[in-house]
Order: sequence, then structure tokens, then C-alpha cells
Amino acid sequence: MDALASPTTCFHCGGPLPATGGFTVVLDGIARPLCCRGCEAAARLILSQGLGRYYEFREMPGPRSGETANDWSAFDREAALRRYTHERADGTRELSLQLEGLHCAACAWLIESSLTRTAGVTQIHVNPGSARAELRYEPRRTALSTLLARIQALGFTPLPLSFTGEVAVDTAERRTALKRLGVAGLAMMQVTTYTISLYAGLMQGMAPQLEQFLRFVSLLVATPVVLYAAQPFFVSAWQSVRARRPGMDLPVALSIGAAYLWSVVATLRGRGTVYYDSVVMFTFFLLLGRYVEMSLRHRAGLRHDALARLLPAGVLRVSGERTERVTPDELSAGERVRLLPGERVPADGRIDSGSTEVDESLLTGESAAQPRGVGDALSAGTLNLSGAIEMTITRVGQDSTLAAVSRLIDRAQASRPRAAELADRVAAWFVSGMLLLAAAVALYWLHADASRAFATVLAVLVVTCPCALSLATPAALAAATTQLARCGVLVTRGQALERLAHADRVLFDKTGTLTRGEPRLESVTVLDARLSEAQALAVAAALESHSAHPLARAFAQLTAASGVREVRAAPGRGVEALIGNTRYRIGRMEYVLEACANRRGFATDPAHTSVVLGDTEAPLAVFHITDTLRSDARTTLARLAALGLRCEIASGDRAGPVAEAAAALGNIEARADLTAADKLARVQALHAGHHCVAMVGDGVNDAPVLAAADVSVALASGADLAKVSADLVLLGEGLGGLVTAVTTSRRLLRVIRQNLSWAVLYNLTAVPLAACGWVEPWMAAIGMSTSSLLVVLNAMRLRGPVRA
Amino acid sequence: MNVLYLLIPLGIVLLALSVWGFFWAVRSGQFDDLESPSVQILLDDDRAPPPAADRTDA
Repeated sequence: MDALASPTTCFHCGGPLPATGGFTVVLDGIARPLCCRGCEAAARLILSQGLGRYYEFREMPGPRSGETANDWSAFDREAALRRYTHERADGTRELSLQLEGLHCAACAWLIESSLTRTAGVTQIHVNPGSARAELRYEPRRTALSTLLARIQALGFTPLPLSFTGEVAVDTAERRTALKRLGVAGLAMMQVTTYTISLYAGLMQGMAPQLEQFLRFVSLLVATPVVLYAAQPFFVSAWQSVRARRPGMDLPVALSIGAAYLWSVVATLRGRGTVYYDSVVMFTFFLLLGRYVEMSLRHRAGLRHDALARLLPAGVLRVSGERTERVTPDELSAGERVRLLPGERVPADGRIDSGSTEVDESLLTGESAAQPRGVGDALSAGTLNLSGAIEMTITRVGQDSTLAAVSRLIDRAQASRPRAAELADRVAAWFVSGMLLLAAAVALYWLHADASRAFATVLAVLVVTCPCALSLATPAALAAATTQLARCGVLVTRGQALERLAHADRVLFDKTGTLTRGEPRLESVTVLDARLSEAQALAVAAALESHSAHPLARAFAQLTAASGVREVRAAPGRGVEALIGNTRYRIGRMEYVLEACANRRGFATDPAHTSVVLGDTEAPLAVFHITDTLRSDARTTLARLAALGLRCEIASGDRAGPVAEAAAALGNIEARADLTAADKLARVQALHAGHHCVAMVGDGVNDAPVLAAADVSVALASGADLAKVSADLVLLGEGLGGLVTAVTTSRRLLRVIRQNLSWAVLYNLTAVPLAACGWVEPWMAAIGMSTSSLLVVLNAMRLRGPVRA
Repeated sequence: MNVLYLLIPLGIVLLALSVWGFFWAVRSGQFDDLESPSVQILLDDDRAPPPAADRTDA
């Protein structure tokens, strides 16, 4: 399937190919294009081990491999091994890893197969459901760092987990639920057999001793079901009673408890009807529905531990003259560490020596480099950009700023969708009403026909249990979230999907959203004959290599002139340096002209962003820089338009580039030179026109606008933690996920409506029938359970392939 | 029909055994991953990895 993929995307990661090209790998005799050195290395490694079938069976493109490999050597030290691994009696060590970028069973197979072929690995199991791996290796034959590096070379990021010897919370919950389900299921088979014999005995005649024996046996088998398997219903019912908010488990617990007690009394007295079959069947089918819903929920859960992901794998700890590489977990307050350019800060601290610039975009969303000197504070997770520094640790682990931020994320994710809460509130009223109704039915039947009163009330209680109603929305939400996560769209707030289905306007930010956020040098205008174009480029590249400004990346590929001295950066304005005997400046026009003796004006191309180069005499050259549109921007917008959404650009960039982008994207409406306040006003104006607005941004500069929009979408390539403010996050390169999100959200809404109408219809028809005494308790148990299962199964349809 | 007094308790013993067996299977993690084994049977073929070549052209 992948072999037929359009050759405009990377064979390994599915990302767009660079114009320069040059990275390929040969599979099945065909050269496959790749986007970067990292992907090339990963694909080569996979093929060299004979694991090329991964490409046939995977469900989605692989993770984009980083260009640089981490230094994992910190994990080979004794202290780290003690923390993360456990030594077994036979001398092997075992540990658990969380894996980033693991999407499907084929990825799991790839890692398992590749590591099994690595010397020293005795056992590995990768669970694609939880994205965890259990690894066992022989420390004598291989180092842990080698294994971690191997996993990273395949394109996945391993995060060793502190060894606790316990199973993950999800797994434990799942196992308990399975055991309860198993007990109820096995018991149901038995009790049903006994019940059929008892019915047959009623018709054909049966020895009274045998009948009594069968009843006692049923009691014996049904007891563990009520006491063990049905326990969650009783616990949750009791909690809801204590909270004075009757939940849907209350009638469940009441019917199970009452039917069981009634049957026990009837068994002991030797006369009266028993309902063991209804009790067991009801419990089993309810547990089945809950189990399916739980599996959906677990799959939907975000598997990212932001805290662990943002910390470096290792850091240089300085103690006196000695330095050693340690993991961030081993640091404690008061210790000193040395950071080289390009390394992440491992914990909160203060700079002792050196000065640098840091990228704090993960914490603050501010993408411009921030200068930091001696005495300044650094936060864990920020990126040291330019200088080598030493810092003293002040706060580590759970006390750090980063931990506080990730706790906020956890809380946001734990909050229940509003729709589910509403359903619970409705269920509370519904349950109260149904209990009253059951009481009324009981009163009536006690007067009319006391012998049938209990059976009728039981049937009413069972039949009215609003499980289907309560499951209708959450099950559908969980299924949609899972489906979207598979397609590379993370949903951080469930109710956002419902609003996305209603959206009729989409506002796009331009830079980093419609464009790739990777500036490219478009053209050069030489202003002064003293410098050729090639010379101007070399000088510019040399100067910009000392700048952390995003635009400087446009010059990164060029050959720089040598002999740069006395570099002075003016943050946000430009760079000045000496090459040979000439003092050059590059940057904004005003900054460059300040230094020039001859401040003659010149024209710049309004369609591009301009960077000016000058010396002490006059401006020498103008560089025009553009940011290319994402390769799928045009098709995405066209498909959104086909879905009835009107797209427009709201950009803070200048009118020229914005108009050009709008034209390239099919003449869509565009507004340029907008501040955040202007964008906010635009969203509010659309609201005033009763439009439902989705805002797509990089999640950094437009946080307030994203918050004001009905649905906010951020691209993961923007700042990571800024995701928090967005309802949906598009992973990977490209906007295609947005279309999937819109179609899935519309299907979701349809499924929720179907589910709710079915649940209401079922209750409206079943309740009167039960109240009239026409429904036996076992029929009620089947009817109720079937309606819940139907709702869950209908929700699971959302996990199927997307139909446009 | 007296044989029922023997057979039914026997059935209950079997039931207890199967519950025990199921619990053991769950505890030992056999139900933790219901996904990858279904694919593994397709992927794991007997084709040996090619000799230390840089790439697989076949």
C-alpha cells in the first residue's frame, strides 16, 4: 500500500520532502524518497535487519526521526541502573519503557524484532495498546545505553520508567474488570442451565428434593457474582446515595440486590420464585458494556508524560573537578551542572557562570530567544541555545516549574466532558423519577395482585435502568477520540468535537500554520557594486550563524565566510561583526542604516520579508525571505470548503506575503497586519453573526484568540506546552488531520443523536410494558443489556475507516 | 435421576477450576495485549535476515 504512496512524501515518516532531496532507500527494487538524514538512517536500519515488511503492515507513517541521537550513557551508571532496572536472580536486568511514536502493532513488532536480534537482549515485549515495553537483557553482553540508542535509531523515543515492579494503572483496572466479567460469564452459563431444568421441571414434573437442590446450587453459583462481580455497582450506588445524586448504578444495585435477597429467602423457605438467572445475566451484560467502554476509554487516553519527555536523557554533573553524566532524576538541589549549547535544562536553577540565550517557548510560548546571564533563573525543559553555562540546581522533579505546568495539563485532561456531566445530571433526575414510578407500581400491584408485585417491580427497575442513556455520549466520544488519535489528531477536550461538527468558519493563522515555519531565501538584491552576490551571501551566512533569530535559519544552508570576529548581537534587531577589516551589520533596515555613513534609501519587495546587509559606509544587499506553504495546505482548504466551511486567513504578517498566500490557496479571504486584539475582534465579529468559529494556529502567539474561538486547533510543531490552550492538536507535519477531525466530529454527532434517540425510545416503550406486568425479570435483563450494548456497538462504528 | 446429585457438584468443581484458570491467565498478562499477536503471525516469517548487507533490495 505504501509502495503506491505519492512520491511527494517521505517514505518513512510521511512528511513533506525537501526540495533539495538526496535521501533515498531502496526497497523491492524501487528507490523510495526520504525527507531527512534521520529517516534515512531509520529506514536503512530497518531494511538491513530484514524487517522491511514493517512498511507493508503498518497502519500509519512512522515517527519522524530526529537528526541527532541522544547521549544515553547516563543510563549505564550504577545509580541509574538501580533506579530504572531490577536485577533478576539469573543476572539479567529488566525494565519498563514508555515509547513515543508507537502507533500500531507493526511498530511494536518492528521494535521487538529488531531488539531480539540485538546481542544481549533476552526478552522484549512491546504492548501497542499502552505504548509500553518490558525489556530484559544481560548486562554482561550489552549496555542499556546501546539498547536505548537502538530504539531511538528506529525512530521511537524510549523513556525508561522508574522500576516499581507494579503493573500500570490501566492494566490493573483492565485485569480486574476482566476477572469480574469472567466470573459473571462462567456463572451465567451454569445458572442458565439450572434455570432451564427448573422450568422444564415445572412443566414435566420434578422431584421436590431435586428442585430444592437445583435452587441451592444456583444460590451457590450466583453468590460470587453478586458479591464479587457486581461489586462496582454497589460501591458506585452507595457513593451516589451519599453524594445525594442518584446515579445510574443505583437502580442497578437495587435490582441486583433485591432480586438476589428475594431469591435467597425463597430458597431457604423452600417456596416462591427465584431470580438467580436474571441477577447473573443482568450483571454479565452490564459488565460487558462497561468493559467495552473502558477499553475505548483506555485507548483514547493520551500517553504522553510531558514532564519526562521534555527533560534531557542525561546531563553533566560537576562536583569539584570531576564531571559525570547523570540522569535528571538523580539531581538534587544545590548541585551544579554544565550545559552545552543545544541541551535542555534538566531542572530549575540559576546560572553561575557564562551567558547564553534560551528558548522558553515550551513554557511561555514566546519563541524568540531570551538572553540569560549570571544569576538569572532557568526553568527545567527550556532549551539552551547558544552558550556553554554552569548552573546551580534550585528545584528538581515535582517542585519544578515544568512539573507544575504538566500537573495543569493532567488536570485539564482529567476533567470530564460537559456532555457526559450533563448526561449524568439528567440520569440523576431520571433515576429519581423511575424509583418513584417503581414505588407507585409496587403500591398498585400489592393491591391488585400481590403475588406478582415483586416480579413486576423488579422488571420495572431493571428495564428502566438508564445505562444506555448514560453510555450514549461517553462511549461515542471515546470511540471518536481513539479514531482521531490514530489519524494523528489529539483531542484534549471532548466537547470540542461536538462544537467542531457545528463550525462553519475556520480562521487560519499564516506563519507556521499554513506555512511550514521554515524561512527560505527567495532572492538577493545587491545594492552596492563593492560586493558580488556570492560574497554578500557568504558574509550574511557568517553573521547569521551567530544569530538565534528564526529568520537566520534561512541562511543556515549557505557556505559562510571565515574569519568572523567581535560578534555583537542586538536581539530582535540584528548582528554586527568584523570580517577582515570591514565591520558589517545584518538585520532590520533601521538597525543597519544606523551604522551607515550613507543612509540612502532603497526599495524593498513588499511581498517578502526583507533582511538588509550593510557596512559602515552604505547598505550592501537586501535578502528577500519567504516561508513556503505547507504542501497539503491548498488541498486541505479545498476539502474544508467542500465540507461547507468557509476559510479565511487572519495573520499578523505584512499585507504582501499574506495576499500572496491567499492567492496561492485559491483566493480565500485574508486579513493582514492583525494584532492578537484584532484577531480577537474578528472572532467576536463572527460570533455576532452567529457563526461557529474554529481557529487554527501554532498555539503560541494566538493563545487568547484560540481561547475565544469555539474550537481551537494547534499544530504540534508549534510550542509543545502551548497545546494546552487548544482543543485539538494536529500531530505530524501537515494540516490533513483537520479534515479528518471535521468529518469524524460530524459522524460523532450523528452517532450521539442515534444513541440518545434509541435510549429514549427504548425506555418509553419498555417502561409501560413492564409496569403492566407483561415483562418477566429475565426478559427485562436481556432487553436492558441489549440496549446498552447496542449503544456501545453503535459508538464503535466511529472507529471504522473514515468515509468522506 | 440420582446421578444428578453427583454430576452437578462435579460441574461446580469444573466451574471453580475454570474460574481459577481464567484468573491465572489474566494475572499472567495473557489478556493485556490482544492486538499485536494477531499481526505478529503475519509478520514473523521464517525468512532469515539477509547477511550483513546495507540494504535489502530483494
